[in-house]
Amino acid sequence: MGVALEKFPAICGVLPGGSGILTTADAFINWSRKSSVWPVTFGLACCAIEMMAAYASRFDFDRLGVIPRPSPRQADLMLIAGTVSKKMADPIVQIYRQMPEPRFVISMGSCANCGGPFHDSYAVLKGVDKIIPVDVYLAGCPPRPEALYYAVLKLQEKIQQMKIGHGAGAAPQQERGSRDLGAP
Amino acid sequence: MNTAPAPSRSELKTDQLFVNLGPQHPSTHGVLRVGLTIEGEIIVKAEPDIGYLHRGIEKLCETRSYGQCIVLSDRLDYCSAMTNNLAFCLAAEKLLGVHAPQRADALRVAMCELQRIASHLILLGTYGIDIGAFTPFLYAFREREMVMDLFEMVSGARLTYNYIRIGGVRADVDAQWVARTREFLEYFKPRLDEYDTLLSYNPIFIDRTRGVGVISAEKAADYGLSGPNLRASGPAYDARRAEPHCGYEKYPFDVITAESGDCWDRYHCRVREMRQSVRILEAVLDGLPGGEILAKVPKIVKPAPGESYAHVEGARGDLGVYLVSDGGPNPFRAHVRAPSFLNLSILQEIFLGQRMADAIAILGSLDIVLGEVDR
Amino acid sequence: MTNERVTAQILAQFPQLEKDPSPVKDYPTLRLPDAASLLPVISHLKDSLGFSYLDMVTAVDWKGPVDPAGYVREERAHPFQAKPAAAAAAKPLPGAPYRDAFTLVYALSRFANPLKIFLKLDVPREQPRAASLARIFRTADWQEREVFDLFGIFFDGHPDLRRILTLESLQGHPLRKDYAHAEDRFDR
Repeated sequence: MGVALEKFPAICGVLPGGSGILTTADAFINWSRKSSVWPVTFGLACCAIEMMAAYASRFDFDRLGVIPRPSPRQADLMLIAGTVSKKMADPIVQIYRQMPEPRFVISMGSCANCGGPFHDSYAVLKGVDKIIPVDVYLAGCPPRPEALYYAVLKLQEKIQQMKIGHGAGAAPQQERGSRDLGAP
Repeated sequence: MNTAPAPSRSELKTDQLFVNLGPQHPSTHGVLRVGLTIEGEIIVKAEPDIGYLHRGIEKLCETRSYGQCIVLSDRLDYCSAMTNNLAFCLAAEKLLGVHAPQRADALRVAMCELQRIASHLILLGTYGIDIGAFTPFLYAFREREMVMDLFEMVSGARLTYNYIRIGGVRADVDAQWVARTREFLEYFKPRLDEYDTLLSYNPIFIDRTRGVGVISAEKAADYGLSGPNLRASGPAYDARRAEPHCGYEKYPFDVITAESGDCWDRYHCRVREMRQSVRILEAVLDGLPGGEILAKVPKIVKPAPGESYAHVEGARGDLGVYLVSDGGPNPFRAHVRAPSFLNLSILQEIFLGQRMADAIAILGSLDIVLGEVDR
Repeated sequence: MTNERVTAQILAQFPQLEKDPSPVKDYPTLRLPDAASLLPVISHLKDSLGFSYLDMVTAVDWKGPVDPAGYVREERAHPFQAKPAAAAAAKPLPGAPYRDAFTLVYALSRFANPLKIFLKLDVPREQPRAASLARIFRTADWQEREVFDLFGIFFDGHPDLRRILTLESLQGHPLRKDYAHAEDRFDR
């Protein structure tokens, strides 16, 4: 599907009224994308327990089409749930690069946003956005499962506004801000 | 046609293979990495690699006031934050020479036992997933949410409570909380039998866990194991009995032990411990004393120079906090004797000779929390 | 008192030990005079007195107040940011036994007649060394690795002494009071 999408703008461009077709295609593709945001099963610290609670009985993330996948190769979303230590930074970049595009990141909790209570520690990365681009920041220490719901709904809003005319997905545009850490 | 007898295992030549488990793996319960060398199906070498969640909490404590350190202690073992708060507060109280009032002690015991239930329920759910059964996860988290509601009623938080303070607890409970806790206990007791029928005595589950990852009593003590992992091997060592804190000597409970020290025993010790927690909770609620909930503690805690050590029986084992004061407002040195760290250290030995498929079953049965392992 | 009987027993066996002037509250605390007596005392405690469980191995750096340079601070001033707590506490306090040494703290317990005992051993800050307990207690393996990682104390006879928690590339040993954090590629 990705290959077809890359060619699609060119086809639309030569057709009269192509943008109309494009808008309809955008709406359809975005709708299907946002309804099945599959996160990679990946927890770091305290927030991971709240993430598990969100998957479990009371909150039931499946209702939003959020179904955890054990492999990054099958996932669209990475939930950075917890403190990112410096030792973990390189594996996170590696996992992120293994995910297929378009890929999204929710930075869950204060630690992933900015270091949180460990902001002055020698071993903690001050915000996961130093190594990978982040779509939604979620405050709280830890955020409640309801807050995680809100973050996913916000991400869905963002996905709904994506345009295939701007590239194959959201990723090329997002990754402009990313920073290469260089060889470890 | 080849009529030669099939070669025995020792004659089969296989190459050694290095398998990397983690740090991103759905069954490592966090960010643990284990480098496994396998020969065929058998693990010949296991090297746990930890530190992926090292946050330098012990260093940070040296610039935080005692009250702020309680907040950091929440984030050590995030599955049972209450017992972490308690261990830190007991150590600080020993430095100051204050004692919590009776009602605060009773509330601390109630919170710690509720926390033990919540924490063991996480193990119950995730261990089922490790073995391949998803359903127990949904059941266990259904009950856990009720405990979370009770915690939310008293502390306002679901996971990191900061409820137990130096000299007592932060807020008193009301009659409604007591009534809801009783309601929960009545609801929870039959659920424990349900877990036994659902998971504990499931033939597939028993096949996967019985006789797997056996730890002898000597080896368990040698590696410094504690909590259910130690008691499943035989020694009946429980800090609540050996050195009662917060008036644990007043409450009836049995120290749960098992004989064989395999994965099933470690798992089932926890299920039976939840029953004892229910017993303690009922006794606490029946005899909840009145009075103050906070002893007289100065606004700025500045203990005289000295050292103290306090240990409590956390959900994962013997959790100790060692504090050194130099007379300043911050701890001069804070060290946490983390049970998960020591429970994990036996991994390099019990993995040897086990099958690759059993590695996850053994790792899950140790019930580690990486926040506490790495600190 | 079992505490005092056990302490008296140990002191009778090893007269060079002494009761610690600043004991760990509520527990018998003994001070070892030199590194050479560590292994015999621990072996005796394990074999003759039943202390078959090594609770804890840790260390304290007595150099003085912690150096604020060991922490990462945001450079730009933030209107709501509190003053660094370490800077405020950086002056030495009266009454604290600051000295140029690390103290190794060992805690041992026994299961029958539960009792916990603390042993302390001072090692110099220049080239700190002590004997490893890994041959007596397997649990000492990881705990000593942790002390090595965070304090830089070497343990002679340890099977595998290398960093356990921090990054291999970290410079220095973070729990030393004079640890100064060098900016690495993650802090930029």
